[in-house]
Amino acid sequence: MALQTSPATSSYTDALVLKDVTKRFGDFVAVDNLSLNIPKGSIYGFLGPNGAGKTTTIRMVMSIFYPDEGEISVLGHPNAESVKDRLGYLPEEKGLYKKMKTAEIVAYFGKLKGMDRSTANLKAREMLTQYGLGDWLDKKCETMSKGMGQKVQLLGTMIHEPELVILDEPFSGLDPVNMEVMRDTIRSFKQDNRTVIFSTHVMAQAEELCDYIFLINKGKKVLDGPLREIKTTGDHSVKIDYDGDDSVLHQLSGVTRVNDAGKSAEVFLDSTRDPQDVLAELVGKITIRKFDLSEPSLHEVFLRAVGGDSDE
Amino acid sequence: MSKTYMVAQREFVENMRTKTFWIGVLAAPVGIILVYGLMFLLAGKTDLRRYAILDKTENQWFSSAVHEERSENEFGEILGLVNASEADQKAFAERLQASIEKLAEDHPIRRLIRDFENQGLLEDLAKVDGDRSKLPAAVRAKLLKITTAWGLKLMMDEKDRNLALQFAGGLSVKDYIDIQFEAVGEDPEQELNKMLRDDKIFAYFVVEDPFGDKKSKYVSNNFTDSKLRNHYSKHATAVIRSRHVERLRQEKDLSRQDIADINAGFRIDKKQISASGEEKEVEIKDASRSFAPLVFVYALWIAVVMMTQMLLTNTVEEKSNRIIEVLLSSVSPSELMNGKIFGIAFTGFTILGSWSLFLIAGIKLAPKLLPGQAASQFGALGLDQIVQDPLYLASFLGYFIAGYLFYAAVLVAIGSVCSSLKESQNLQQPVMFALFVPFVTMFPIMQDPNGTLAKVITYIPLYTPFAMMNRAGGPPPAWEYVASTALIVVSIWLAFRGAAKVFRVGVLMTGKPPKIREILKWMRTPTR
Repeated sequence: MALQTSPATSSYTDALVLKDVTKRFGDFVAVDNLSLNIPKGSIYGFLGPNGAGKTTTIRMVMSIFYPDEGEISVLGHPNAESVKDRLGYLPEEKGLYKKMKTAEIVAYFGKLKGMDRSTANLKAREMLTQYGLGDWLDKKCETMSKGMGQKVQLLGTMIHEPELVILDEPFSGLDPVNMEVMRDTIRSFKQDNRTVIFSTHVMAQAEELCDYIFLINKGKKVLDGPLREIKTTGDHSVKIDYDGDDSVLHQLSGVTRVNDAGKSAEVFLDSTRDPQDVLAELVGKITIRKFDLSEPSLHEVFLRAVGGDSDE
Repeated sequence: MSKTYMVAQREFVENMRTKTFWIGVLAAPVGIILVYGLMFLLAGKTDLRRYAILDKTENQWFSSAVHEERSENEFGEILGLVNASEADQKAFAERLQASIEKLAEDHPIRRLIRDFENQGLLEDLAKVDGDRSKLPAAVRAKLLKITTAWGLKLMMDEKDRNLALQFAGGLSVKDYIDIQFEAVGEDPEQELNKMLRDDKIFAYFVVEDPFGDKKSKYVSNNFTDSKLRNHYSKHATAVIRSRHVERLRQEKDLSRQDIADINAGFRIDKKQISASGEEKEVEIKDASRSFAPLVFVYALWIAVVMMTQMLLTNTVEEKSNRIIEVLLSSVSPSELMNGKIFGIAFTGFTILGSWSLFLIAGIKLAPKLLPGQAASQFGALGLDQIVQDPLYLASFLGYFIAGYLFYAAVLVAIGSVCSSLKESQNLQQPVMFALFVPFVTMFPIMQDPNGTLAKVITYIPLYTPFAMMNRAGGPPPAWEYVASTALIVVSIWLAFRGAAKVFRVGVLMTGKPPKIREILKWMRTPTR
């Protein structure tokens, strides 16, 4: 059995729609009245501190949990159960059967997604070889390094060419080489007009990849929308690399906030303040190595939105 | 291909690759070969108790009398066998003939058998057509006398012991043999003590004055096994009693009939009622038919413990291994749970199936492989008839699967809420405790398959499959089969439903296992 639908012929415009979704665990409200639209073919980042409700939201999308209130539409269907075979999901806590062989387990995931036996077996070997694990096809999972295991898990998620891929904290625990592999894979999904949702609490990763982001804190949506729009709203800032007494930065007038790292700092200006004046004021007081006018980083957006509540 | 099936298939293939699986499969043939090997080696070699008699009566008349009494008693039984039926009589005669031909011309037994023939006793026996009670009293007495003398010879000599046993397995020489101790020297007891210490004899008796006040003595280092003492005492008592009776007969002028009346004991003929309501003889194979359920109950018990342990370990491992969530993105929790239950069932039933095959082959081949006497004893058990009874086996198979499914559902639910094997061991304790009940009630139920205990246990769903298997020897009335089947089907359905609810929530839980109260709450929430 081949995949029922290819992304190109599917008739939905939003890969995922959440409408007023609430999930409670006893008295604890994990997700509170959440609404989201995730356009088809986009890379969508779920951001938020640990425990904000990202994983719970994802599990509801996957029909592993059911929402107490609200509606979820996945690929145009009222829930994930009828379209499970068209979804790919890599949970944060991921594991493999230690005693199974690499190619077998990837093929097994494919078969569970409705692929026929021979196609799944062939494809698993092909993909593993393509991802540099050609020598490991018939070795047991327990003999692989952690990085290799993570690759195998990722391949298990995508062997059936899902239309919507949900990756929960895909970058956690990856070394720089594998991070690059992950980034490339996510970009390649987009090129195939597939939709990718990934969650992270590392802003730089989202900033690099996402078309859209959604920020959640304590179960409530803080903001969502196209990344570019989010970054251009809000105050402007300058990045300064410097040597000298950092107290000078804090004494500047018309400055709302300083993120000071000692040798470099991000300085936020209120809307009336001209960056040129700031530069003039600083000259002579400290040694300026770099003065960079920029949009606020997502990190700043995050901190501002979450305030002091984050446990980051 | 359904996803449940795919999960089950993976479990099965994965289990098949483990060493434990193959050890399990091979356990049965190796076990059977070992048992047969032992039977072969030990055939006829029962644990023989050698004993000595230090008889201080005049000319040792007492011990001779005891031997004679025993011989008359035991060989009288054989004489009964001779007269039991034409077929038995013929078989006995053939055995006798074959054995005797091997003996030397002047062997005492040959002489005795010749007596038997010379005096025309065989013709007398033929005349009465197998019914010994129709024999004239004189012929009967003569027959008994010759047989007794013949038996005495066999019983007295250790060399002839095996020959004696060929005629009848029930002879006491099977278990006890008198070493024919002859007292020489000053202190024979000293000598006997030495033999006892050297393990040459198991015990010895000292008889001085069996009719007086002085007690006889029994010396042994083993007082847990009282069988030899009882055996000898029984025959010695008979001798003493018959001497007293003989004295009374002369003094009080009692008739032979009076004496027979005095000696008469309470006699029992074992009968049972067949399925069609007729009275019939109790045969050994009927006994094995009521023992067979024990084997099945035991097998179910082993299977339930073994397979549910596999299931529990597997679930907990998968959970701690974090693969569950990946799987749940492709299959529903109940598909995953059922897949596991069936996958382990395939594994377990493959092992049990291989055991059964080897066991059936073993039963079929036993008569060909075992040495003479052991084979006929084995055949008398009628095990091959049980093996050939399809309805009987089908009912066991049904209860077997039912029993496994019920416990599998309970254990998989327990496994799903545990994060480590240690936790699961604590949580499964009540189940293991509950599983002791069928073990303890196994024998009482077998002895009274339709009694109150059996009936009560039958209608506790935890024990229904065990109890119904256990009661098969009864067998219970048809309505009980129907009622218990209905009960177990409903129980399994409920267990699966409850387990699915617990599994769905439990399997994604981390940290401390939930309280029983919480688990019950999950089971009450409606499924979407």
